[in-house]
Amino acid sequence: MHPADTMSQNRDGAEYGFAFLDEDAKRELRRTIFKAVCIPGHQVPYASREMSIARGFGTGGMQVTLALLGPNDICKVIDQGADDSVNAANIRAFFALTCPGVTGTTRTEEASVIQTRHRIPELPLRADQILVLQVPYPDPLVVVEPNAARRRRMHGRADYARLWVKLYEDMVAFDEITISHRYPTRINGHYIIDPSPIPRFDVPKLHQAECLYLFGAGREKRIYAVPPHTDAVPITFDDVPFRIEDFTDPETGTRRACRRCGATDSFLDEFLDDDGARVFQCSDAAWCDMRLERLEAAE
Amino acid sequence: MKPILDVEGLTRIHGPGCPACLDVTGPEHDTNICRHCGSVVAVAQASFRLHKGEVLGIMGESGSGKSSLVKMLYFDDQPTHGHATFYDEGQAHDLFALNEAQQLRLRDTRMGMVYQNPSLGLNFDISAGGNIAERLLMSDELSYRVIREKAKALLARTEVPPARMDELPRNFSGGMQQRVQIARALSTGAPLLFLDEVTTGLDLSVQARILDLILELQEVTGVSMLVVTHDLGVVRHLTTRTIVMKTGRIIESGLTDQILEDPQAAYTQQLVSSAL
Repeated sequence: MHPADTMSQNRDGAEYGFAFLDEDAKRELRRTIFKAVCIPGHQVPYASREMSIARGFGTGGMQVTLALLGPNDICKVIDQGADDSVNAANIRAFFALTCPGVTGTTRTEEASVIQTRHRIPELPLRADQILVLQVPYPDPLVVVEPNAARRRRMHGRADYARLWVKLYEDMVAFDEITISHRYPTRINGHYIIDPSPIPRFDVPKLHQAECLYLFGAGREKRIYAVPPHTDAVPITFDDVPFRIEDFTDPETGTRRACRRCGATDSFLDEFLDDDGARVFQCSDAAWCDMRLERLEAAE
Repeated sequence: MKPILDVEGLTRIHGPGCPACLDVTGPEHDTNICRHCGSVVAVAQASFRLHKGEVLGIMGESGSGKSSLVKMLYFDDQPTHGHATFYDEGQAHDLFALNEAQQLRLRDTRMGMVYQNPSLGLNFDISAGGNIAERLLMSDELSYRVIREKAKALLARTEVPPARMDELPRNFSGGMQQRVQIARALSTGAPLLFLDEVTTGLDLSVQARILDLILELQEVTGVSMLVVTHDLGVVRHLTTRTIVMKTGRIIESGLTDQILEDPQAAYTQQLVSSAL
């Protein structure tokens, strides 16, 4: 395709190359992504570019997505499971503006590239789909070792005893592991990653998945990956099993259901409705809508 | 007797170093600073052998290189020249030819260190039990129940009340911090232990109890120890053989009794006679 066909214009009529970034930047990103896929879980440094939004608002995920998108891709952007939150809507609009030919969607099954903040969709992803996660803190060792150079040596040696000491201290104090999100997860038996602030509920979805998971940290300038069919094991003790969030209602003893679609197997958001009552609803909006459609069709 | 540690020509020079460094320093020059290049010769040509189950003392004034020597053997520092061979489980490890991961693996599972200052050997931000758990986790023990039981047993053995195992060591007295350090060093059943001035800074009654504890643990476990000290009492109490160091050189070595009763080197004579 001639470069002129892939030019995009911003609102003032100024011309940008396809997907906002210049070709050299995209080439570097792709090289970095390849390396990340080749060494599962290893944090590969890259030259994080200035984006049109501030660092810390998903610039790492955006750069990875922009490097992946081609004119025939279908792109979905979610924020905590929702397609219509400010962060997701604006990033989707940005992709529409800078990537002519790319269609936006909210349906998980239609998308070829999904950029997400802090959730993995409920619908199992296929081999032809890529999930791009926005990452605020790429290094799980940052809580135990402040020196970055030393952390990288620790990763090299798979020296993670101090992460387990954190779990031990948790067990001593609370009789359970209290990490709610960013749960350290060992990839392919060596590197331990920070899987971005996804809830514990989503961590098992990384294990032996069909799709490719890419993690982009813009501020911290790191990209890492969990390739398809790769082991991803949340760290724990042999005699303390890893647990996901428990949505059991202590009063009835049954699992809470989504108030819209009635799902009892999805990750639920808890909030107060207009009358001040506690309600639970699927965090993944597309999943909830899909279930509602199916229910309506069945009727 | 089988050796556990063989040290040959271990040398550590801080600074650029020059060919004359070793010739112009040492006890006969009464300095460890090279007058040609200004380098500090911390340890020069140290060679000795430690046998299995033996307690070897390294004695000398401050600045004589005794701590530098132990630091290198525990991989806290890299030697300028020299070799050390560690015999463990039928294997001979050439310590300074190993890569960093292998070195730290050995250090974390097969060696133990008790520092003079507990803040070097312990993490004050995690509980006493957590400090021991860390060593056990490094040697791939991943059962919470087993870790807990082992930590409790180790602390009981070093006379730390089990009721205080979940407290931060910063709240402990100096003697108790030292006991936690000893428990941590012993936790993996390592055959080689380094003790660097373990009783310095403790009051006399606590010193005596810590020494008794070390001696008792040594007899029960048969662990080999390298004991660095400037305290003649510690040497007399703990060690069977002693090395005397001055300005980075080993100037005398032999049975502890012999050295204390019949010192040969002038410096050792001075050291022994100056004991209070």
